[in-house]
Amino acid sequence: MKVSKKERLGIVIFLLPALILFAVFFIYPIMNVVYMSFFNWNGISDATFAGFKNYIRIFSDKVFLRSIKNNIVWALAASCIQVPMALLMALILSRKPKGWKLFRTIYFLPQVISGIALAMLWSAVYNSEFGMLNGLLKLVGLGNYTRNWLGDPKTALICVLIYGLFYIGYYMVIMMAGITDIDETYYEASRVDGANAIQTAIYITVPLIRYSIVTCVTLAAVFGLRTFEQVYLLTNGGPANRTSLVVLYLYNQMKNNNYGGANASSAVLIVVGACVIVSIRKLFTKNED
Amino acid sequence: MEKEKTYSRVLLTVGKWVLILFFAVYTIFPLIWLVITSLKTNAEYFANPFSLPAVPQWGNFANAFRQANLGQMIFNSVTVSFVGTVLNVTIASMAAYAISRFEFKGREIIFAAFSAGIMVPLNALMVPYFTIFNKIGLIDNLMSLRVLYAAIGLPISMFIIRGFMDSFPVEIEEAALLDGCGFYKRFFYFVLPLVKSGLITAATFQFITCWNEFVYANLLTSSPRLKTIQIGIRYFTNQFTTDYVSMYAAIVIAIIPSILIYTIFQKQVISGLTAGAVKG
Repeated sequence: MKVSKKERLGIVIFLLPALILFAVFFIYPIMNVVYMSFFNWNGISDATFAGFKNYIRIFSDKVFLRSIKNNIVWALAASCIQVPMALLMALILSRKPKGWKLFRTIYFLPQVISGIALAMLWSAVYNSEFGMLNGLLKLVGLGNYTRNWLGDPKTALICVLIYGLFYIGYYMVIMMAGITDIDETYYEASRVDGANAIQTAIYITVPLIRYSIVTCVTLAAVFGLRTFEQVYLLTNGGPANRTSLVVLYLYNQMKNNNYGGANASSAVLIVVGACVIVSIRKLFTKNED
Repeated sequence: MEKEKTYSRVLLTVGKWVLILFFAVYTIFPLIWLVITSLKTNAEYFANPFSLPAVPQWGNFANAFRQANLGQMIFNSVTVSFVGTVLNVTIASMAAYAISRFEFKGREIIFAAFSAGIMVPLNALMVPYFTIFNKIGLIDNLMSLRVLYAAIGLPISMFIIRGFMDSFPVEIEEAALLDGCGFYKRFFYFVLPLVKSGLITAATFQFITCWNEFVYANLLTSSPRLKTIQIGIRYFTNQFTTDYVSMYAAIVIAIIPSILIYTIFQKQVISGLTAGAVKG
């Protein structure tokens, strides 16, 4: 629609609140984090310029390095295990087996439950004394395998990580929407060619929903990088920092009034996140040529 | 040959249902266990985590309410989520109207910037958010959460609402324009009623997000009377080290509202999610 002079004022008035909030809570904080990461600051007295000292400090901190490593494991697990499982179930459910709507509702359920409630539920599962997992193991005669799941350095990380991987509803719904948008003629053509269900899925459906798949992989990687609640509640990074993540690390830095270190780790997270998004996109558009 | 074909078909069907049921049981079983356990006595729970309660202990819920002041927390969560949602949807629909309906310089750039906001790792912005609210004196004040939640939900809400607005032809409004309807009248009387389901979608999504938010509620408030329900249940882990069943009752109380809203607005949640994500 062409814009008249009178309307121009209206547009400005309507955009202004959103723009102000966006500037204050997105643009300014990101710039501030990056800028302040070059300063020493305890949150009270004046900040002093520190150059790259904050970065040098966090990158020589074993806990930070382990946190980064854990975040990478987390992001990879989400994009390489969770998303493919979600894709498989999206392919199955979009063929509309009996009760598919009910199953979609169930799979999506964890998405509307708060991360903190889910983490508390799973801490009950892993509890060493009265936990559901140890109880189940005893029930089926595998009592030897019971252990303090979250207290054992060997199992702690895998336990905090794994339970969310099987909550596939979020990505499944995104990919199912992609499948619904596919033109019916593609399927008719493949039927004429005598393709079976699996062939159709691999050669027709998956290539046609690649945008949805890339979206899911990107989201999974980004969510993997910014995870916090699970670890904060279940292990608080322990045992011996085995399960620390970057956001938990920066939270602890902040609690210890080391705002410079916190900002440097935030900046690393933001930059890594941006790189991940860009490289997944690049990788994907390259395949397209 | 024929036999082989039916054999593999049976195998496929069995495999399919094994998968479908596995994911369903995996999701549902812990939740059902939670509800059952919240109705047991502690002694029953310690004796066998899988037993059913001899007598349903509804008192656990009363206990949870009394001991942790859950009523106050629920009230806080409701007001924060409600204001956060109304602010968010109002501001997002105004901006979406300007972007969707009018051609002006930079509108696609503005929209692209907002969309990129969906991917920002918000948890990494703890320090600046804390400093901002500290500077304006809103630390330990629920107003900070209302404003922050409205702001961080803007990208996704704008995405959803703009999508709905774009799906209606501008011609409808042009007729209104000829009738002499101005900028504001067209927004309130034509566009908003048209995209009502888009507004509901965005609002549902936003409300659930607000209700479930933990990181910033934890960071920006500290007084016991300002705790939201998500902070509240976390403190159960310190308070009731032995009273597990009341803790489980509190978790059940905390997740019931989001499940309820989800079941009522299920269509909206699912369509909103896909609208926001597929194009992003």
